[in-house]
Amino acid sequence: MGMFSQSVDVVCSAEGQPQSLLWAGDSYTVCAEPVRWYERRQWWAEESRAPLGSGPGVVDHEIWRVQVLPSHTPRGVPEPDEPLTLDLTRHIRSGRWRLLRIHDALRPRTA
Amino acid sequence: MSFTHLHVSTAFSAHYGVSWPEELAQAAASDGATALACTDRDGLYGTIKHLKACLAAGIDPIVGVDLAVLDDDGDHRTHVAGRVVVLARGHNNGAGYRALCRLISDAHARTTGKSGGTVPVAVTRAELASRTIDPQTLKPVLTVLIGPDSDVGRAMGGRRYLRPRTLFKQWLDDLPQGTVVAEIVSQLSAPGKPLSTAHAVRMLKLAEEHHVPAILTNAVRYWAADGAPTADVLDSARTLKSLPELADEPLLQPTGQGWLKSSSEMLRLGKEIISAAGYGAADLKQLMTQTEALADLCRIDPATDMGWKQPVVPEASVIGISQDPHQELIQRCQAGISRRFPGVSGAARENMLSRLDHELAIISNLGFSSYFLTVAEVSRMIQEMGVRAAARGSGASSLVNYLIDVSQVNPLQHDLIFERFLSRDRATLPDIDIDVESAERHNVYRRIFKRFGAERVTLMSMQNGYRARGAVRDAGMALGMDDGEVGEIAKQLWRFSARKFREALQEKPELREFAGRVEQRDLDGNQQLDLLVDLTERLDRLPRHISMHPCGVILGDATLLDRSPVQPSGLGLPMSQFDKHDMDPMGMLKLDVLGVRMQSAMAFAVREVIRIHPSKKDVVAAGKHSSGQDGNGPDYIAENGHIDLNAVPLDDETTFELIRSTHTLGCFQIESPGQRELIGKMAPREFNDLIIDISLFRPGPMKSDMVRPFLEHRHGFAPEVYPHPDLKPVLAETHGVTVFHEQILRTFDVMTGCGLARADEFRRALGNEALETEVEVFFRKAARDKGYTPEVVDNVWGTLKAFGSFGFCKAHGAAFAVPTYQSAWLKAHHPEAFLAGLWEHDPGMYPKRLLVAEARRLGIPILPLDINRSKAEYRVERIEKGKDAGKLGIRLSLNGIYGLSATELKRIVAGQPYDSLADLRARSRASKPSIKRLAQLGAFDSLHREAGGTANRADLVHHLQKLQLSSSGRKGVEVLEGQLSLPLGDVELRNVKPGLPAPTLVENVRAELDLMAVDVSSHLMDSHRPMLDRLGVITADKLLGLRNGTEVLVAGVRVATQTPPMRGGRRVVFISIDDGTGCIDSVFFHEAQEKAGMLLFGTRLLLIRGTTRRTGPRGISLSASMAWDLGRTETLPFKDSSPQEPEARHPLDGISRSLSITGFSG
Repeated sequence: MGMFSQSVDVVCSAEGQPQSLLWAGDSYTVCAEPVRWYERRQWWAEESRAPLGSGPGVVDHEIWRVQVLPSHTPRGVPEPDEPLTLDLTRHIRSGRWRLLRIHDALRPRTA
Repeated sequence: MSFTHLHVSTAFSAHYGVSWPEELAQAAASDGATALACTDRDGLYGTIKHLKACLAAGIDPIVGVDLAVLDDDGDHRTHVAGRVVVLARGHNNGAGYRALCRLISDAHARTTGKSGGTVPVAVTRAELASRTIDPQTLKPVLTVLIGPDSDVGRAMGGRRYLRPRTLFKQWLDDLPQGTVVAEIVSQLSAPGKPLSTAHAVRMLKLAEEHHVPAILTNAVRYWAADGAPTADVLDSARTLKSLPELADEPLLQPTGQGWLKSSSEMLRLGKEIISAAGYGAADLKQLMTQTEALADLCRIDPATDMGWKQPVVPEASVIGISQDPHQELIQRCQAGISRRFPGVSGAARENMLSRLDHELAIISNLGFSSYFLTVAEVSRMIQEMGVRAAARGSGASSLVNYLIDVSQVNPLQHDLIFERFLSRDRATLPDIDIDVESAERHNVYRRIFKRFGAERVTLMSMQNGYRARGAVRDAGMALGMDDGEVGEIAKQLWRFSARKFREALQEKPELREFAGRVEQRDLDGNQQLDLLVDLTERLDRLPRHISMHPCGVILGDATLLDRSPVQPSGLGLPMSQFDKHDMDPMGMLKLDVLGVRMQSAMAFAVREVIRIHPSKKDVVAAGKHSSGQDGNGPDYIAENGHIDLNAVPLDDETTFELIRSTHTLGCFQIESPGQRELIGKMAPREFNDLIIDISLFRPGPMKSDMVRPFLEHRHGFAPEVYPHPDLKPVLAETHGVTVFHEQILRTFDVMTGCGLARADEFRRALGNEALETEVEVFFRKAARDKGYTPEVVDNVWGTLKAFGSFGFCKAHGAAFAVPTYQSAWLKAHHPEAFLAGLWEHDPGMYPKRLLVAEARRLGIPILPLDINRSKAEYRVERIEKGKDAGKLGIRLSLNGIYGLSATELKRIVAGQPYDSLADLRARSRASKPSIKRLAQLGAFDSLHREAGGTANRADLVHHLQKLQLSSSGRKGVEVLEGQLSLPLGDVELRNVKPGLPAPTLVENVRAELDLMAVDVSSHLMDSHRPMLDRLGVITADKLLGLRNGTEVLVAGVRVATQTPPMRGGRRVVFISIDDGTGCIDSVFFHEAQEKAGMLLFGTRLLLIRGTTRRTGPRGISLSASMAWDLGRTETLPFKDSSPQEPEARHPLDGISRSLSITGFSG
């Protein structure tokens, strides 16, 4: 398992579930029901302000665990047997997505 | 379909819940909910506020509790297995609510009520089971929610897969059929963690398997997601661990999802759980329907279930009445007439009787006769105990109270209006407050419990919320900041609400340095201070714990404990979980029995007078009292010398002279710097002046500039002005200025003919934006109809509007003025006994050491500590020899010496007198350190002198020190054992080896300050005198001789610090210092505050530059322009050519007892 924090673009369904994503120039499709949960942040170390009215997202952030397959098989690369399992997080206030972890990755493409 | 939250903690779950009941109820209602539960931890602390909030929001209240359950398998009753939520079922005539109250009282019954107890607030499963069924109907009246924090839920994360099922089955076996539901909660934490969807699924499946209904909650702690960081900080405060520590354990809430989610969010959450469980739409529907079904079962009818707004008083039989209570009340009033109004006749009698009929009719109408009889019973009981007592508050407005001996103020004499106390239009039980001697308060409580029975009485509690200092400390601890650093910041926070911390950083000069550090964060990357400010603001006002209210006692009938849960107080008597705001809604009769130290001090003084002057003749001579009609002295002094203070006439000229001199330190209500200034300006001549003085010295009148015109009219500098001749009778006593509530009522009545009862309703509406407009419309129309001109109407309305909301009730003023007068009378006639009483009971606002200075100013000798003459209390003593022979002095008490235990004290006093140190050791068994401290304070000096020998106090202390060090139990060091029986005097003392220099005055004063917090041998400023003389500092006694506006330097020890509310809202700081010749009151306006900065609140010894302000014929104060810390000589404003002072040791150096020395814990 590798730890990452890379920006990704995610397309969601009407209910807010990730459907496909664009990661390092390649496009992937979510191939199984994603799992969602929240994780704590060390907000007292990461934030410099937490005034009343900060809204949600100070204490925890949303994590989506998705299984993805490449949308278009690149030329010359064989179709992967296993889907990739990725942990994504969405920043509540900005709405931006980042890639947190890659599971089961035989050979992560970037470090 | 709307969703009902059944598991909600309010802020009244101390150190747990974040949101106020109002916020929660409003949020629920605006989302379309029709009901909302309040399930605070360990009690019903927020329940009544919740009811109020739900009624205001138009939704049904549901009440319950979040309670710990003891582990049945634990050996001792101290191990908690988990927590469950218990809800009361409603619409069963209170059976559910009653069971809930009793269950909560069960949970507290084994605790001690003291902090740090080891027994948790918790019930056994058997207790819980027995309360779920109503003993009469045998129907279930409580529902128990087994959720994620129960033993079942907690076992989900463990390794034993079957454990949750075993535990769940145990609940089903132990609790009656139909009283258990499974509580399904997911706060969306990571799979497999507590509060995860996976755990929710397991709980759901357990319920399914055992055919137990499952319901959905969100275990709410805050009304919106924004509350999550606050909940983290509260977890830290509760567990006394920093956030980083808690995160490691991990003990923090796993996510920040515990808010009052909307119906659609809850439905979506339900969907997520159901689909994770592999169930379908029908199961989702069932989960949501069961939740609503339970909610419906638990909707509470405030009136029939909880007795909302229905006053309950003790049964007539308990107060010894067999007839109709109102008949009884009438008879008792009639009996009181001859006692209170002996020989009254003619118009006065008619007037009095018609007032009595008027009051009795209103009381009868409201059905409050039993209430008056109850209060009279308590009052009678206190007087029978021989305890000084006085009614205060608006109760003094009632003639009935006067006749049945509840109040000592004659309302007819002072023109007090009954309607200010009670009227047809007010259906709530009025407050009657009784002041008693503080030292006797707990005895009075115990007697009330005994008299009415423990089932009818409980103490009222109070909520203690976060204020700025506590908030910054706990926020700092949460962030893991250094204790010392946070303490330094906390010190500078002075009298503002934590919510305005950031605003205060901009404005307050004493915070400037800290504000600078907050702004620095970008440079040194320290973001903690910024967060500290935010978190402090978040904690503002949140309840921290409940404690015994200082005076409230709740009296009810035999059902009281069905209506309020109780828990032990520190005093050992049970305490209600309800506070003063809950009394009226719950129809509870609250009596304020307030301990007043001044009453104790005065009672003490009266006893000292008898002890020193054991006959009427002696007292008359000592107090220079008039010889009376028969030449034997006044009637209020008994033959044995006892003074009946309540019978002292209120027109003693000597007393008023003392008051006008402004030397009123120690006198009730008129000793503060502001009051001394006001008294100096006003120069009171009679008792009514005191009532006016006390009423004027309030935030409202001070703020709105009522005082200046009043004084101008009073002294005839400006002619009195009345808006209309009709109002002259109403306003004449205050020279045309409206001061009293009573005057507002009469003004309304005179100008509109509305009657006094309605007038009081109008008065209450003043200041309330919505209602005030209606009052204005009515007033203008009715006054015009009565023929008043528009100018008069405008003018009077302006006054009513401005003063109405904060004028003072004259009945309060009159009740206060009595002890004010009595204390001044004692100070004028028996100052030694009075000061001894003050020292003994410490009633005032100043540190005790200022009263030492006052004694010095009055020429009353202070007699040093003496092992054979000092007792466990301060005593007046006639001096036998020396320059003060024949005078009365005050002997210091052995009580209050640092480190001397109560048992040591008791034994020392019991064994007096002692003829030697060995005798003292043998009979008092005082510890070695205590004996050394007594020696440091000179308690053996006279014994030492009698023994002969050439050593001094320092030698003796050195000798004792040596004994203390060398003696760890070894025999042989106690060389002097055995000399006890020989009448040889003290061989040990005689043989102490001389050689050390005698202690200097500074060293003696140091020891006194360190061990007693008073400076007796000399004033602690005396050692600064040479330096102050060179600076040209002037002393307090010379100040009065200076012209107004003279620039001076003064110096002294801080004795008072006040920031009263001021006109225009700008803060003004009053600092009083004592320089040994008297007290100097200085005022720091905005600019001076800017210059003084941190010195304002952080310094004990101050040098102040300012200009004199004459405040009255006998009063002068200082308008400060700059201040310095006398402890830091290098900063003092010496002229360039002046040499710096050599470092002199000062008595205060290194002594940290700031609060008791300066009256300020900065």
